[in-house]
Amino acid sequence: MEWEADQKELKEAGAELLPDGRVGLRIHGWEIESSKASILKSLQRQEWEEKLGTCHLPEMIFGHSSLVLKHLESGLRIHFNAFDALLGWKQEALPPVEVPAAAKWKFRSKPSQQVILDYDYTFTTPYSGSETIETNSEQRGASEESNGNLYWEDCEEQLDLVALASKEPILFYDEVILYEDELADNGVSLLTVKVRVMPSSWFLLLRFWLRVDGVLMRLRDTRIHCMFGESMKPNVLRESCWREATFNSLSSEGYSVDSAAYSDPSLISQRLPIIMHKCQKLKVPDVL
Amino acid sequence: MSDLDRQIEQLKRCEPLKESEVKALCLKAMEILVEESNVQRVDAPVTICGDIHGQFYDMKELFRVGGDCPKTNYLFLGDFVDRGFYSVETFLLLLALKVRYPDRITLIRGNHESRQITQVYGFYDECLRKYGSVNVWRYCTDIFDYLSLSALIENKIFSVHGGLSPAISTLDQIRTIDRKQEVPHDGAMCDLLWSDPEDIVDGWGLSPRGAGFLFGGSVVTSFNHSNNIDYICRAHQLVMEGYKWMFNNQIVTVWSAPNYCYRCGNVAAILELDENLNKEFRVFEAAPQEARGAPARKPPPDYFL
Repeated sequence: MEWEADQKELKEAGAELLPDGRVGLRIHGWEIESSKASILKSLQRQEWEEKLGTCHLPEMIFGHSSLVLKHLESGLRIHFNAFDALLGWKQEALPPVEVPAAAKWKFRSKPSQQVILDYDYTFTTPYSGSETIETNSEQRGASEESNGNLYWEDCEEQLDLVALASKEPILFYDEVILYEDELADNGVSLLTVKVRVMPSSWFLLLRFWLRVDGVLMRLRDTRIHCMFGESMKPNVLRESCWREATFNSLSSEGYSVDSAAYSDPSLISQRLPIIMHKCQKLKVPDVL
Repeated sequence: MSDLDRQIEQLKRCEPLKESEVKALCLKAMEILVEESNVQRVDAPVTICGDIHGQFYDMKELFRVGGDCPKTNYLFLGDFVDRGFYSVETFLLLLALKVRYPDRITLIRGNHESRQITQVYGFYDECLRKYGSVNVWRYCTDIFDYLSLSALIENKIFSVHGGLSPAISTLDQIRTIDRKQEVPHDGAMCDLLWSDPEDIVDGWGLSPRGAGFLFGGSVVTSFNHSNNIDYICRAHQLVMEGYKWMFNNQIVTVWSAPNYCYRCGNVAAILELDENLNKEFRVFEAAPQEARGAPARKPPPDYFL
């Protein structure tokens, strides 16, 4: 069952739901829409493998699911999808992580002609979203997409946690899984994005969560907050926070090393030390 | 109506048994399973089923499509528990059917039928939640150790949960394994429950995790040839279309959990073999929402940060 908005609250906030069975809403010049679909079928997986130049992809790719936030005035489009995230995985190409059993396996007799695969099976990605500007080019009579002059600029400003903690009504809420892998029952790799839209702002959390049982946990969070304002240009702030810990380091601090204790990253994120943190502001070029 | 028939009816309504009933059922099942071979002989006609993962209402859909046991003869390739909401009811129903109709249903072990894996992926927590103690988990995991490791249908089709092992080239080598133990972290028994076929290797491959074998087409060809079998039927890996042939129809993966984890949107399949071993895949979807008892609740607004 999907989240259902309160009609009265929507009206008071000047928001309207998207028509025709689409999931999302329009509010203060933004159109925010989520789409959820089944995982890719075998043929589609093959196409993705070719496009990405790999023969290994997460077993569950929600390739037709997405979250899109469009600012109608400027043509800015911030969106989240599995394909771009996997491009990031392919580029980062971390070395594989050995599971605890690997130590014992080193002493197993080797079959003849053994090939050792060495791709990053954790599907760790630095992905923090995709953004484009849609400009209406009159000469060609078609809309054009580019991220030409869009960029994220490091800033001192922090997320307004007080504003985010206020319990104003949630007009729209959704969570979209982009991809997931069970690491062949050695843990979990999961990329999801969730969004909530309130009368004063929208806020989203893109989260890459990895647990390799008995070895390590990795949490890469991207939070984006946009306060609605008078300006024609949207004011979008992004915080990236990467955390990582090995089970060994948790054990030496006296924490549990039972994998079952680490099923919900929101509950244990504080135990994982921060390895990267930055805030950035989206610079949007003048409307053409 | 006997106690056992009553228990089967109760489990078919997705109502778990009492702890004392589970204990007695497991004891009876143990007497039957201990007599089975590591390569259990199965006669055709038979219907082969892959992973279920506690998706009880989808398993009921499977029985609706494939026919009831004992009218239909079934072979389940393991992974009855974990991930889904009803591992307890799913496994107990299969076990009760096994005790009631031992010659009409064969259950072999998957990698999730293990103490260690069930403590991480759901079955342990579910037992604790539904019974308030871990006794039922103990009875069930003790039974897991007795489950057979593979099946051989009419001497022609070899069935196993995961796949092959470099330590095994003949079925007789499987017969000599002492299976009555927790699934080990390495060795032949581990490989049978954990390994996967892989297109991009020809011989053997090692997973990038540093543990876990992958096997290619030539390995399957030589295994099938030396054991005089037509093909291998296995489960263990999600396939969107419910089943998938590899290596020129020398091995097939069968997956029987539709809409896996209640969100993947995949279809599932079972493989029906008639008395002449003619194949028919029956593809099916997840049980409709109204067949699932309690309706899904609307999630509350989540003020996540």
